[in-house]
Amino acid sequence: MKKFLAIVLAAVMALSMVSFATADGETYDIKIWVAEAAKDLTEKQIADFNANNEFGFKFNATIEAVSEADAATQMITDVEAGGDIYCFAQDQFARLVQAGALDALGKKASETVIANNDAGTVAAATSGEQLYAYPLTADNGYFMYYDKSVIPDEDVDSLEKLIADCEAAQKYFAFEMQTSAWYLASFFFATGCRSVWMTDDNGEFISVSDTFDSDNGLIAVKGMKKLVDSPYHLSAGGADQFNQNAAVLVSGTWDFAKVQEYLGDNMGVTDLPSFEVDGKEYHLGSFNGCKLLGVKPQVDEMKGAAIHKLAQYLTGAQCQMERFEALAWGPSNLEDQASEAVQANPGLAALIKQAPYSVPQGQIHGSWWDIAKVIGEDVKNATDDAGLQAALDNYQDKIASLFTMSDEVKNAWTAIGTINGTNWDADVTMTKGDDGVWKTDALELHAGEEFKVRQGLSWDNNFPTENFKVEADGTYVITFDEAATTVDIVAQ
Amino acid sequence: MAQLSDLEYLRLSKGAKFGYKLGRFFTGIPKGIGHFFLKIGQGLKKGAMAVGREVSDIVSTFVHGDWKTKLSFFIMGFGSIARGQILRGLLFLLFEIVFIGYMIMSGGYWLSMLPSLGKVGPSKTYNEDLDVFVTTYNDNSFQILLYGVLTIFFILAFIYTWRVNVRQNKMSEMILASGKKLKSGREDLHSIVDDQFHKTLLALPMTGIIIFTMLPILFMILVAFTNYDGTHNGYTNSLFTWVGLDNFNTMFSWTGGAGGTQSYAATFFEVLLWTLIWAFFATFTNYFLGMFVAMAINKKGIKFKKGWRTILVLTIAIPQFISLLYVSKMFAKNGIINGFLLDMGWISEAIDFFGDASRPWLARVTVILINIWIGIPYLMLITTGILMNIPADLYESAKIDGASGWKQYTKITLPYMLFVTGPYLLTSFTGNMNNFNVIYLLTAGAPTNAAASSASGSVGYTDLLITWLFKITTGAESKYYMASVIGILVFVVVALISLIVYNLMPSIKNEEDFR
Amino acid sequence: MSEATAKRHMGLKASRAVTNTAIHVLLIVISIIWLIPFVCIVLQSFRVENSGQVGYVLPKVWGTDNYVNLFQTDFPRWYTNTFIAAIITAILQTVIVLCMSYTLSRFRFKMRQPLMKFMLILGMFPGMLSMIILYRVLKDLGLTQENATPGLILVYVASSGMGYYVSKGFFDTIPMSLDEAARIDGATRAQILYKIILPLSKPIVIYTVLTAFMGPWGDYVFARYIAFGASAGKNVAVGLYDWLSKDQISNNYTMFCAGGVLVALPVTILFMFLQKYYVEGVTGGAVKG
Repeated sequence: MKKFLAIVLAAVMALSMVSFATADGETYDIKIWVAEAAKDLTEKQIADFNANNEFGFKFNATIEAVSEADAATQMITDVEAGGDIYCFAQDQFARLVQAGALDALGKKASETVIANNDAGTVAAATSGEQLYAYPLTADNGYFMYYDKSVIPDEDVDSLEKLIADCEAAQKYFAFEMQTSAWYLASFFFATGCRSVWMTDDNGEFISVSDTFDSDNGLIAVKGMKKLVDSPYHLSAGGADQFNQNAAVLVSGTWDFAKVQEYLGDNMGVTDLPSFEVDGKEYHLGSFNGCKLLGVKPQVDEMKGAAIHKLAQYLTGAQCQMERFEALAWGPSNLEDQASEAVQANPGLAALIKQAPYSVPQGQIHGSWWDIAKVIGEDVKNATDDAGLQAALDNYQDKIASLFTMSDEVKNAWTAIGTINGTNWDADVTMTKGDDGVWKTDALELHAGEEFKVRQGLSWDNNFPTENFKVEADGTYVITFDEAATTVDIVAQ
Repeated sequence: MAQLSDLEYLRLSKGAKFGYKLGRFFTGIPKGIGHFFLKIGQGLKKGAMAVGREVSDIVSTFVHGDWKTKLSFFIMGFGSIARGQILRGLLFLLFEIVFIGYMIMSGGYWLSMLPSLGKVGPSKTYNEDLDVFVTTYNDNSFQILLYGVLTIFFILAFIYTWRVNVRQNKMSEMILASGKKLKSGREDLHSIVDDQFHKTLLALPMTGIIIFTMLPILFMILVAFTNYDGTHNGYTNSLFTWVGLDNFNTMFSWTGGAGGTQSYAATFFEVLLWTLIWAFFATFTNYFLGMFVAMAINKKGIKFKKGWRTILVLTIAIPQFISLLYVSKMFAKNGIINGFLLDMGWISEAIDFFGDASRPWLARVTVILINIWIGIPYLMLITTGILMNIPADLYESAKIDGASGWKQYTKITLPYMLFVTGPYLLTSFTGNMNNFNVIYLLTAGAPTNAAASSASGSVGYTDLLITWLFKITTGAESKYYMASVIGILVFVVVALISLIVYNLMPSIKNEEDFR
Repeated sequence: MSEATAKRHMGLKASRAVTNTAIHVLLIVISIIWLIPFVCIVLQSFRVENSGQVGYVLPKVWGTDNYVNLFQTDFPRWYTNTFIAAIITAILQTVIVLCMSYTLSRFRFKMRQPLMKFMLILGMFPGMLSMIILYRVLKDLGLTQENATPGLILVYVASSGMGYYVSKGFFDTIPMSLDEAARIDGATRAQILYKIILPLSKPIVIYTVLTAFMGPWGDYVFARYIAFGASAGKNVAVGLYDWLSKDQISNNYTMFCAGGVLVALPVTILFMFLQKYYVEGVTGGAVKG
């Protein structure tokens, strides 16, 4: 029944395609999700593409306004029914790759993207070695807006002075601490702490190097404590805070136009301030992120190829420039970045001023945002240094728990070495027989190759003490007797 | 707890009576559980006997039936058609054809895939010429589970219909043998607006409930036994499969994650406790204050009765997503409430109503207070009607006895109200436990509970089980299976509470009493 | 009347006057608290000078710009969607609920008790997770995204039989003897329903229509899930809520308020007129259900 329906539907669709198709070639129906603000511009850009492209196909596009912050949640609802092309903020990248909602770029497309875009934005669109999205902007970072009528210009470099000015004027300092890990990371970056995550080609996270729970991390939370303890600290964002008694706002380029409207000549825009702990100054850092444009995996190769061509066009130099001109979105395209107009934009100028202290966002585990966000609450609740340290420990525990292994994996033995075409970087699985001896499948081993067996993918338990050396070429099974802790190879 | 005789029981004070009942209830639990299993055993025995009877009846119908009946075993409705009940027979036949057709076309496939929930995941290949990856989607675990379950339903419905078909043949033979006539198609049609009218009326509503309420709930229960989550969505990334009781083990293990993060069980009980506290206060503050407002408005000599009511009722008429969102903004640290309090000089620094994790009770109490704003009008409307129903002579005689207003309230009004609204209180309690809107729109769970938040999503001090469940499904890892487990636990809690309260209610309500 | 009793009467009168004044004051205070949010929303909807959130209540520049601008957006579409859903749901849901509650109140058949227990148990499960599967079912029927409105109506109506309690309670109060008398006169069950019971049930019918009509206006979570990524399928709640997202709030906040006022209007007006029946409905049904 379902199949029959599908055939009928396909036939109807095929017929309608024929009727739409022009003499030039195919017309594809696609859905595009962009931010509300970019809707009209995108419509125009697609019309341009339809009129001018050299491939001979056209798009009949339905454009929907879907917030870039919300795109992943919407796509994951049902990938099949999601937008064929959609824009999203960088932090959702890994989640989308894991959900199978991003189509990998072809080799030639990847080369073009890598050659023409800012390296940080390319890294943001890459999982393992594979490029999964097109950089759209390079302006997803934050800096500081302030009200010049409240804050004297000489105070803008010091967090302590800013707080004091706000308290004196009974105005708020809006900087999301308890509500967003993206902003909270600012203090940690200031003291050199980093959280760097590695992904494989499928968007799975394989390891993390995280230094938040360290001496420098403790300095960071001491600085943070100064801010969150102020009764005039506000953990909220958005240009509207300036209508509601705020004097300082940490935010990004997207609020520029509105803040300008609200503050007029009193608008100040600059990089983030520094804070002082134990007599040392630390300049607040920031995330340096971008927005990406993704293509949903396609089952029809012709359509898929066509959509990728459109995606390339939409993220090309011309379209990025148009977006900069209409919406002040900072381009990721290198040529556009070098242009005078971009260099002169005050919002982007503040980003550039902040740039030396910013950290490329890279790939970050989807759960990190929830885990790190909590530091803000813990710091606020802490009464002494021990409490601050506990906040960091709490954080570290939760990060560690993301990589907990099942008992099965923890107890299993594997072989690792120069065997089987690997070089001490991949484990060969072994299975436990009824006799308590662990065995690999039959392997081609060569003379001179070395290996060890280890437990739970860690080096805590490994045998034999010296690497096991293979004496002669042949097909072998590696065996490990767990009781006697003896390693051997058995020729097949 | 020793059982009291009726006389002793009656001598107890009110509080002691309640305590006694409560005690009896809990001491009765072990016995109750034993009873429950005994019942199950009896039920199983009964069921087995019933199946035995059915089978023997079917066999005897076949053996003793005439050829029309015998053929009806294979061609449903044949007997009815042959005996002149064309309409009935054709319906049976149609059902059989549809069933067999469905099973051949797709039902068999879904059923065969159900145990594994799919074998082949999606794949992609690179097309060098077009420089594009082509994706091929294969099995769809979600669809297999859905249609697999539907197919089982369909099979059960078929078996039932087949059994009815067999029974009807037997009946028809008996009726004909006794020399009477069978019902004509016309009479059949008439019966659906008369003798069988209840079936006609129920057919549509029940179909809707089965497909759009029961099936989804059944499905949700099944998901709790799979690993369906964001990284196993069953179609575009990895397939999901059955994992047995693993998720329940995770839920009930107190050991927590690596490095001492709080376990699911600890978080569950923390959230459950607040859910119960919330439900209690949300129910009773509204109940008493609503009753109070209703009495105030009803009092003799109060003017503009209708006007007061209309103003209050605005909170019902205006959708909550508008009013509550606005109210939550009013309570922001730089919102107008704080602005007002600061201007009046009543506070020296702004109160962070929903953001201060060091004072979780501030947020909790605020939420309960705001809920009064939402809830009073409903209660006012309900109690207004009931208050008017209290016989006026009760008050008259109380007045003659010189009873004070307070005394009248505790001796007449309150007992009457409690008696009449008992069941309503229970449903409103369980309704408040699942009051998603108020919490989600007001605080979205804030302030964040640092200890309880984990990789599967942040948990806040004002989160109820239902909002926690929602956060788990929409969180970064979309752990649908964990949300399902919590959903089942919410059911268990609600069922338990309902059971306890029903047992404690002053009078087990008899439907016929109100006639 | 002796002087003493006359004095006592005076005293009583005086004390009653004091209490009544106190109650009046209290009611005024309550009314103010109740009205503040609504008044604020209405005031903000007429604010022209700034489209975002502000820290003051009274607009500096008054105007109807926000209402005019609403019609440049998809708002009319969302409003139509919701209005259609509300009307159709109100009609069909009332039919279903009345069928269900009338049957359970009036007929005594073998499956009655098990059926009521079954629905009681079903009602104890949180419905939240059902939306994932309902989405799939509706998707296979082609009723999601831009076609979400009929899909939503289907779900609202199909599951409405669960809410039979209140009207069953109401039917329970109508004496059975009426049915029996009619039955003796030879009326069929269906005739009894149309000719005898329904005319007596005006309050509960209106109550059911009213609650069914109000439901679709406020549905946010489920409607959003079904209509994801398609503006044409949104209802007002989803559409307006999205205007409060971070990237839109400073442009669309006052428009949100204006939209909110337009949403609240029909429901409020309807409620004003039918309040009496609503009260009779709940008091007749809710407490006895």
